Amino acid sequence: MKNTELRQLIDAALEGQISEADFLRLEAELSVDPEARQEYYDRILLTQLLVAEADEMAGEQPAVTPTSRTRVALRHWRWAFAGMASVCAALLAIMILQQPDTPLIPGQSQVAEADSEREQESSGYAIVSGQVDPIWADETSLTQGSMVPPGELHLQSGVAQFELFSGVTLVVEGEARFSILSPMEVLVTQGKVRARVPEPAQGFRVLTDAGEVVDLGTEFAVDVNADGSEVHVLDGEIDWHPRGLPTQRLEQGDATRLAGGVEVPIAANSAQFVGPEELQQRLKSRTETRISRWEATTGELAKDPELIAHYQMSSSQRRVPNLAEATREPASEGAVVAAAPAADRWGRPAQALDFSPAGSRVRVHVPGEYQNLTLICWVKINSLDRWYNSLFLTDGHELGEPHWQIMDDGRLFFSVKKYDPPFKEGMRDKHIFYSPKFWDTSLSGRWLMLATVYDGTQKQVTHYLNGSILSREQIPEEYLVDTIHIGDASLCNWGLPSRNQPRFAIRNLNGSLDEFMLFSEPLSEQKIQELYNLGKP
Amino acid sequence: MSEQSSESEAQFVTELTACQLPLTLYIRSLLPGDSAAGDVAQQTNAKIWEKRDEFEPGTNFKAWAFAIARYEVLNYRKQQARDARFVFSQELEKTIASEIEHTDHFEERQEALRLCLQELRPRDRELLVSRYATSATLAEYAEVVGRSAGGLKVTLHRLRTALLECMKRRLSKWGTA
Repeated sequence: MKNTELRQLIDAALEGQISEADFLRLEAELSVDPEARQEYYDRILLTQLLVAEADEMAGEQPAVTPTSRTRVALRHWRWAFAGMASVCAALLAIMILQQPDTPLIPGQSQVAEADSEREQESSGYAIVSGQVDPIWADETSLTQGSMVPPGELHLQSGVAQFELFSGVTLVVEGEARFSILSPMEVLVTQGKVRARVPEPAQGFRVLTDAGEVVDLGTEFAVDVNADGSEVHVLDGEIDWHPRGLPTQRLEQGDATRLAGGVEVPIAANSAQFVGPEELQQRLKSRTETRISRWEATTGELAKDPELIAHYQMSSSQRRVPNLAEATREPASEGAVVAAAPAADRWGRPAQALDFSPAGSRVRVHVPGEYQNLTLICWVKINSLDRWYNSLFLTDGHELGEPHWQIMDDGRLFFSVKKYDPPFKEGMRDKHIFYSPKFWDTSLSGRWLMLATVYDGTQKQVTHYLNGSILSREQIPEEYLVDTIHIGDASLCNWGLPSRNQPRFAIRNLNGSLDEFMLFSEPLSEQKIQELYNLGKP
Repeated sequence: MSEQSSESEAQFVTELTACQLPLTLYIRSLLPGDSAAGDVAQQTNAKIWEKRDEFEPGTNFKAWAFAIARYEVLNYRKQQARDARFVFSQELEKTIASEIEHTDHFEERQEALRLCLQELRPRDRELLVSRYATSATLAEYAEVVGRSAGGLKVTLHRLRTALLECMKRRLSKWGTA
């Protein structure tokens, strides 16, 4: 029998989908051929592994079956061969409880479930806590603060630092291939990885083809490449389990090199691996370079006659100057109300404003009439906990006035009012240009560049996130506004309560803003991308 | 519980833990494609634990546990009045028992598989793992994921085969082990 046929028969049998005739053929083959049996065992091993993985996955869902709950909790942070942990944990639990007669049948270990149906979820084991010139393969897009997706990551070049939820700090140098399997396990197939392990994460493991490192405290590094693997203990001690060789305890200053099944002790070399401090240094100098580049860009932009308003939110006097110098009709300076000083996107203190205090806003006046508009801001959203989360809105809602805000479901909202009531059949006061949902809690606390372009000439509205198009929509002819007015307006809030009517809707943004730009021309996709690249932290 | 008996129980747990993989492999080999195989393995563990006083320390734990497993499989078949057409011949079942009992490399193979599983593209891995998260038939699962049963069968087969080939590559790389 051919291998392919045999494999298909085995899979059919394991899927419970085999015909009687095929079952007999399989039986005959297994009876005479040891290799066929090995294939059979291997496929069952795989089934077992997948069942265990599926169990684990189910254990991470809120709706856990009662039986799996205790063992999931117990085995969550431990490495164990698939299928082995459950019984081990269950037996240990019995030993601890000293109730040796408790039968081990399904359904016995019932644990009441907390009502977690509505709890928000996220997935991953680590976040990116710093990167220098990273190039990720396979269209992976990881930025500062990103949750790290499961599966293998391929860092082609550059350096990246991760903070695992266990507290482990990992610095990875490209080129590297690795997977974060859990907060306590990392698989490295290629490259240099340095791990700093705090006390609550002792027992953290790094798995490589050559063997496995178990941390017993503090700091170590591995270097895996085609010629062999090295393990260096930079501080504290580890257990090194080389594959096929006896386990060794290595201490600070020890290192070992395994190549072609031969192991040689060498001296640990901290300088060979980028550590968290060095990375921070590199990041700091890179940030300084980027800040000075953005300052130069700001100087250039000031000369652009199409720039109507440009605010950077450093507000020592509760006033933010309008940096636009070349336009005929510049917007006013901004007056800060209630908003509190906050760190900007580069991490510099008091260079941004936090609009979460009640009533927060920056008041501005924008004269003139416009056919086109480009609105850009750098914003850090804590949460979208209001129906409407303001970015830039005119005071009232008169004809020709734009409103720019974010819906509570994470969509960007832009409109320009076209009609007053009464409306014609089937018409409304305005058309709302929504982006698709771009925000969820995984972006909480991250600096983002949002931009919206109202192009009255091309008759289209485009929304951007971080320089990339979120959506582009034609402006329906009947809703096209060719004379946009702004007048008095607020950043990150809407409306002024009037006399005898002190009640107002809470629409202030729960987040921070460090920069806002308003252009009287529709910036191109390329220009927006460029502003993002120049301005990103 | 006396100190001595708790010590021997700890020893027993160690033995039982160490033979989990071959034990479940054995049970699954005898019950190909039966989704209850996991329950039979659980039941076997319960039975082994119940009979722990009958085990004589120093004798072959694995052989003893396998005998209990075989009994539990027969018992299960009887309860289910399971279709005897899908039961291997006694001869083959004996060969399987002896091979699994006397081989130690399964753990290594499974570890290699586990590493390989992590290398799959996330969506492939999810497709494969999710297949085992339900007791649905292939056709039902195909409907859930919006694929044709035939196409899904081919995809799953291809993924399994890729994983096994990856495992063999790893094992040959580990070489001496």
